[in-house]
Amino acid sequence: MSATRIGLLLIHPAVTTTPELVQDVKEGAGARNIKFVDQYLINKVNDSSIKLKPASYDVIHYLTPEKADAILFPKKLIPVLQAAMKPSATLYGLSDVYKVDALINGFEVVNTGSEYYWVNKADAATTSAKPLAKLVSLKSGSGNAKSSAALPSFKKKTEGSALPSFKKMPTFAKKAESAQIIKLDDDQDELDDDLEEDEEVFSDFSKTQFFDDMEDEDSIEEDSLVAEKGQNVVTMITCGKTKTSRKKACKDCSCGIKEEEEKEIDNIRSQQERVVQFTEDELTEIDFTIEGKKVGGCGSCSLGDAFRCSGCPYLGLPAFKPGEKINLTSISDDL
Amino acid sequence: MAPNKIAILYGSETGNTEDFAKILSYKLQRLHYPHTLSTLGDFNPKDIIGTRYLFILCATTGQGELPRNCHEHSFLDWKNRTLWAFLKKKNLPANFLSHVNVAFFGLGDSSYPKFNHAIRKLHSRMVGQLGAHELFDRLEADEQAMAGSNKGTGAGVESVYFEYEKRVLEFLGGKFPKRKVEGKMVERTPIDDSVYLQPRSYLMLDESDDSTASQNSPMKFSNDSAIRYGRVETNTRITADDHFQDVREFVFANADSSKEDKYEAGDTASVFPCNSDEAVQQFLDNQDQWLPVADKPLKFTNGIPDALKSGGVIEPLTLRNILKYHCDITCIPRTSFFMKVWMFATDVERMERGEGQLEQQRDKLKEFATDQDMQELYDYCNRPRRSILEVIEDFLSVRLPWEYCLDYLPLIRPRYYSISSKPNDRNIQLTVAIVKYKTMLRKIRTGICTDYIAKLNKGDIIRYNVHHNNLIRKEYRTNPMILVSPGVGIAPLLSIIKEDPKQSSNLQLFFGCRFKDKDYLYEDTLEKWAADGRVALHPVFSRDRENSPDTKYVQDVLWKLGDFVTNLMVNENALFVLCGASGKMPIQVRLTVIEMLKKWGGFESDEAATAYLKEMEKQDRYLQETW
Repeated sequence: MSATRIGLLLIHPAVTTTPELVQDVKEGAGARNIKFVDQYLINKVNDSSIKLKPASYDVIHYLTPEKADAILFPKKLIPVLQAAMKPSATLYGLSDVYKVDALINGFEVVNTGSEYYWVNKADAATTSAKPLAKLVSLKSGSGNAKSSAALPSFKKKTEGSALPSFKKMPTFAKKAESAQIIKLDDDQDELDDDLEEDEEVFSDFSKTQFFDDMEDEDSIEEDSLVAEKGQNVVTMITCGKTKTSRKKACKDCSCGIKEEEEKEIDNIRSQQERVVQFTEDELTEIDFTIEGKKVGGCGSCSLGDAFRCSGCPYLGLPAFKPGEKINLTSISDDL
Repeated sequence: MAPNKIAILYGSETGNTEDFAKILSYKLQRLHYPHTLSTLGDFNPKDIIGTRYLFILCATTGQGELPRNCHEHSFLDWKNRTLWAFLKKKNLPANFLSHVNVAFFGLGDSSYPKFNHAIRKLHSRMVGQLGAHELFDRLEADEQAMAGSNKGTGAGVESVYFEYEKRVLEFLGGKFPKRKVEGKMVERTPIDDSVYLQPRSYLMLDESDDSTASQNSPMKFSNDSAIRYGRVETNTRITADDHFQDVREFVFANADSSKEDKYEAGDTASVFPCNSDEAVQQFLDNQDQWLPVADKPLKFTNGIPDALKSGGVIEPLTLRNILKYHCDITCIPRTSFFMKVWMFATDVERMERGEGQLEQQRDKLKEFATDQDMQELYDYCNRPRRSILEVIEDFLSVRLPWEYCLDYLPLIRPRYYSISSKPNDRNIQLTVAIVKYKTMLRKIRTGICTDYIAKLNKGDIIRYNVHHNNLIRKEYRTNPMILVSPGVGIAPLLSIIKEDPKQSSNLQLFFGCRFKDKDYLYEDTLEKWAADGRVALHPVFSRDRENSPDTKYVQDVLWKLGDFVTNLMVNENALFVLCGASGKMPIQVRLTVIEMLKKWGGFESDEAATAYLKEMEKQDRYLQETW
């Protein structure tokens, strides 16, 4: 048997609630000829409060309660771990979720059926340089093009559709300019805040345990959340806009605005009555050509309410084409 | 797929807040921020773990509560599984939301005592107790200061929203000034407003389905596991023919005779309406490029959008059916509608005056879409209650692409009605006032759902659901009750009175309407109950001197019997249940009750009487169900 292998034990913070897991690993270590000389919480390594010594370990064992296919692990840590590993050292505890990252970083993934681990295949000469370069480029944000392209670009969706594809409008667009339609596949966009997110990954998992018992009904009293008075002070906005022309009557208006609005409606209606008299028959079809005088000199009467003058007798009627009969089906005047 | 790190969640009752959420989502989309847009009720609580930037917009409803779509899922039977139900759990640690950066926008109405309580509850729990990090102080808007006017408070709805939007975009822009395209970082610049953004999933012809006569295949609704079907039993007008208002006694039963609906007094039924065939045809005639495909079988490019599932997705899927059952083409368009359609104003051939008029229409529609003051939009659409159908008939340059209709047309929502029948009765009875009113528009305004109900006949099938409101606490069931209801407010009270075995031995019903022989709803039933001693009846008629010589309104009768009623409240632990239209009525009843407490209840000051009333509210003994 070869000499004792120097080991590093990395622990997911959620494991702290089940110390027996750590115990199991340590007890099994002897049989595997491993001596764990260091033991850290992974989040300490992640936020750099613990720095790993380069090329120091024969074995790294990452202990997490997560299921193998649901492991969340900051990709940027993979080269960091690798830097701490001797050539041909092994890494236990990650899964095929990060297989691509393993291969990119020069690990060999070994799966014997009973055991799953990664072997550091990068020889000392290259490993010491490569992963570090990547780390630097990540931290400096943009980095050199080569290494940043090699990194997280394996989101399949970005390929080919990264830039919005412009599409002609379907057939109905006649001659005028047609609207431009963009297919926006928002998978293509990702918020580039991986660094920031990674610091949360470990606490996130600890939080998921609270979803285990969704039916538990022991809840806080909602009304206790809002204090009777005081507190809850809010910033009010004083906006620069001065348009105050709109007066909208409240549902329970008592200041007279509602009456004003009703009066306005009555006014408009009586104007309509004066200029455009509808008989029963006319309600279904009106010919606006009969008396040209009905259309005002402003030229906007036929354009619809959005363009009519404020005193226009046609307010409240649909837009119409002068000279053409318009269909007023279902306009009826009884209430 | 991993959840988005940015989420916009909203709670909306009338659709106002929903539209602001949609506007914000639209702005984020234009700036290439991947994000989730959802009601609070539909958002999977587990996704909060992956959420880093959370924008919450929420209205307040009823007695300071969160809107229904915050505590109900739109098509799943989730009950205690919504995000808000989850966040209220006692066992959550104080850092549970420490990974979330959040900003709140509240929309309330300061004429209600519990102004903006919903957003304050969310804020207090998420920031105060669960450790979420607030990006900036929450903003609260006041419906009373409806835009422009502001009443000097600076709380006008639009101005507060746009301030909120500005701060959100400033924050995100500062945080993520660049975005990644093919691995390269590029400046984050907005997509031009004139470009339409294709939704994730949209409609396309289903070539595989060669059933050309798909309109002949039987219609059904899929994908909503909670939806029920009801068979109409009766639909009877219960006001006099010459009365201005048409009120219906509308009764239906679960069409599946093996199923029973459980409900209590005070519960509501939601009814899913649809458009009339005429309205649908009118829309198709306006967008006549749709006609050749109107009845062809369709499918989605990328699955059924979740928003469509509430009430079930129509099959066969054709444009005509979608317009009839899913698109609310007669509702009043909001800003988000114009944002999504103005660029389709392209058809110069329909312009009497050519290019100039086309430009004029484009400019106007764009103004509706983008003007932060919203004045023009308000005057053109909201004030006269103008429908989408009427808008596109005024703007003939608009040629809409049918493929995306479910993206830009608002969806039909169910309407809620108090149940009038005896609890758990198979025959569910509603009391429905048919909506009809005039504005400056020639055409009389109606409501999509009451219009739909008014036309239903015995045997017709409707889609509905039953919702529990827990109006009356169990321990109060045997207390004396003071039931106050002008008009159709009687609906939920009937259910209380019909409860069998009758649990309270002292029911005092104060019913008000205009005329004894025109709109005295359920007169015969009520008089019979009074004769049988089931209820003590106090009717009052506001425009009927003959039958109501010295009183006009329910509060007048309460005052007249003040000594007796106050005694019930103060000494006999009575429940006070007030139902009916919101507005002046509930305020005046409230003022009357305070005066009664002072005169007969032994409370000397306004403050003492008000405090007692508030205590009653806290104990759920003063209940107000107004709409």
